[in-house]
Amino acid sequence: MQIYLPIAEMSAHIMTLIGMGGLVGFMSGMFGVGGGFLMTPLLIFIGVPPAVAVASEANQIVASSVSGGLAYWQRRAIDVPMGLILMAGGLVGSYSGVQIFKALRAQGHVDLLISLSYVLFLSVIGLLMLRESVQALNARRLGNPVRARRPGQHSWILGLPFRMRFRRSKLYISVIPPVIIGFFVGMMSAIMGVGGGFIMVPAMIYILRMPTNVVIGTSLFQIIFVTASVTVFHAVENQTLDIVLAVLLMIGGVIGAQIGAYAGQRLQGEQLRALLALIVLAVGARLLFDLIVEPQELYSISAMSSAGETP
Amino acid sequence: MRRAFTAIIFALLLAHAPALANVLVTDLSKDQISIRGDFTGETLLLFGAIDPTPHGPVDGVVVVLRGPGESVTLRKKQKSFGIWVNQQAYRMGPLPGFLATVSSAPLSDLAPAEERRQLNIGAAQLDAALLSGTAGAREKQEALQAFVRLKTADALFDENAQAVEIIDDRLFRAEIKLPAGMPVGRYVTEFFAFKNGRVVGYRTGELPVDIVGAGHILGEAAHHQSLLYGLSGVALAVFMGWGVAAIFRRR
Repeated sequence: MQIYLPIAEMSAHIMTLIGMGGLVGFMSGMFGVGGGFLMTPLLIFIGVPPAVAVASEANQIVASSVSGGLAYWQRRAIDVPMGLILMAGGLVGSYSGVQIFKALRAQGHVDLLISLSYVLFLSVIGLLMLRESVQALNARRLGNPVRARRPGQHSWILGLPFRMRFRRSKLYISVIPPVIIGFFVGMMSAIMGVGGGFIMVPAMIYILRMPTNVVIGTSLFQIIFVTASVTVFHAVENQTLDIVLAVLLMIGGVIGAQIGAYAGQRLQGEQLRALLALIVLAVGARLLFDLIVEPQELYSISAMSSAGETP
Repeated sequence: MRRAFTAIIFALLLAHAPALANVLVTDLSKDQISIRGDFTGETLLLFGAIDPTPHGPVDGVVVVLRGPGESVTLRKKQKSFGIWVNQQAYRMGPLPGFLATVSSAPLSDLAPAEERRQLNIGAAQLDAALLSGTAGAREKQEALQAFVRLKTADALFDENAQAVEIIDDRLFRAEIKLPAGMPVGRYVTEFFAFKNGRVVGYRTGELPVDIVGAGHILGEAAHHQSLLYGLSGVALAVFMGWGVAAIFRRR
């Protein structure tokens, strides 16, 4: 059944959208990554205007992180004060991101901004994931256990002023680093329509030295609020949120994530992780290709007319 | 004086004779288009009768459906630092968001170029004022052509010389495909009957196109109640995420 998306102003097959939500949800449930960084490019590939893809995907991530975050809440695996500090930076970041987005949209450069950000992040993440999974596969073949990297000494950054005690993370550190990390991830979230967990989690482990058992829950906790703010800011400033699209992605996404989480506990992770890395690299390569190769059509009509102009 | 007046009236009548002796009677299969949630486009049937008495059988019929005018920003990419970036921007308007021109024979066979230009038939006649910036005549023409190309690719512009069928010189029927992404607003229909390169029949009418149902409410809310709309999106997401987690936990 075809369904008309009122803000994207296009019609798409309902199962395509739910299916995409399901597939990306499955992968995010399986690997514990948000999936936004795959969904937004996929939406752009099927013809959703990039600005609509970003806002609607941010809305979907709210649903998937609430769904995932609840489990960590019950296990008490969330450092709430740390989450709030990250969130404070995140809200300022998401507001700034939406303003940058709006300004570049008026100049016709927002699609480029989105594509370039994705090319950069997807290639970095893809390569890191690939390296990690190849190392893990090699280690398994050689019979060595994979050594988990252990947090080392606290660096000087954490001794900056405004120190605060975070009991659940067993840390006594300055709030400046988490605010700055939150700010950048929030900005990225607003520009790319992602939760930013794939940046937030490593930053928490390697920069803030948080214990791994609270990292994912705390990351999800702040992602809920940051993506919610991204959704609202985009709805107000750019009017690009398509609720119909977001809801269809949510339906697919939340179901896919549950199945993915179930499958993830039973399947060999390393090969699949290598596969995910290759998918991520392929999506990045496709976006880069579109930027470099001379387009068949040099002109484009910008969809500004619906944003308040009456003919 | 009275005689002179009558003569003038008579002369005027003669001059406008073809328009007065309108050979066309027309109608549409629908008097409005409602875009619902499941709208995937449809085919509009436009039909009517031709009176062959005054001029004999007509050479052909042209039907035009024109969407509401809007100003658009057209951007052109150029290569810089190895990637293709939007460089020039042309803000032009008003230009129709939808334009279908269907006929029973190629337009050039029915009317000379000058006549078509005056009657504004076909996408080739499109013109618009530049609303900002400057552009040479050739640059502007290129931009207009690109506009037509892009709209045609989206099935919003169409020219088809085989989409009008004339039956027994007396009846005609035209089909115009309306795509899912058609802009909303007040559309105008125009019917022309041509004989020896001149218009012998003309009718015009209106066709409102609106989004109705949930889509309409959402579209309105997104633009006029955007804060409330955004918050509802978030509320829905929280509810859905929480609900699904609860369902899967119970099992």
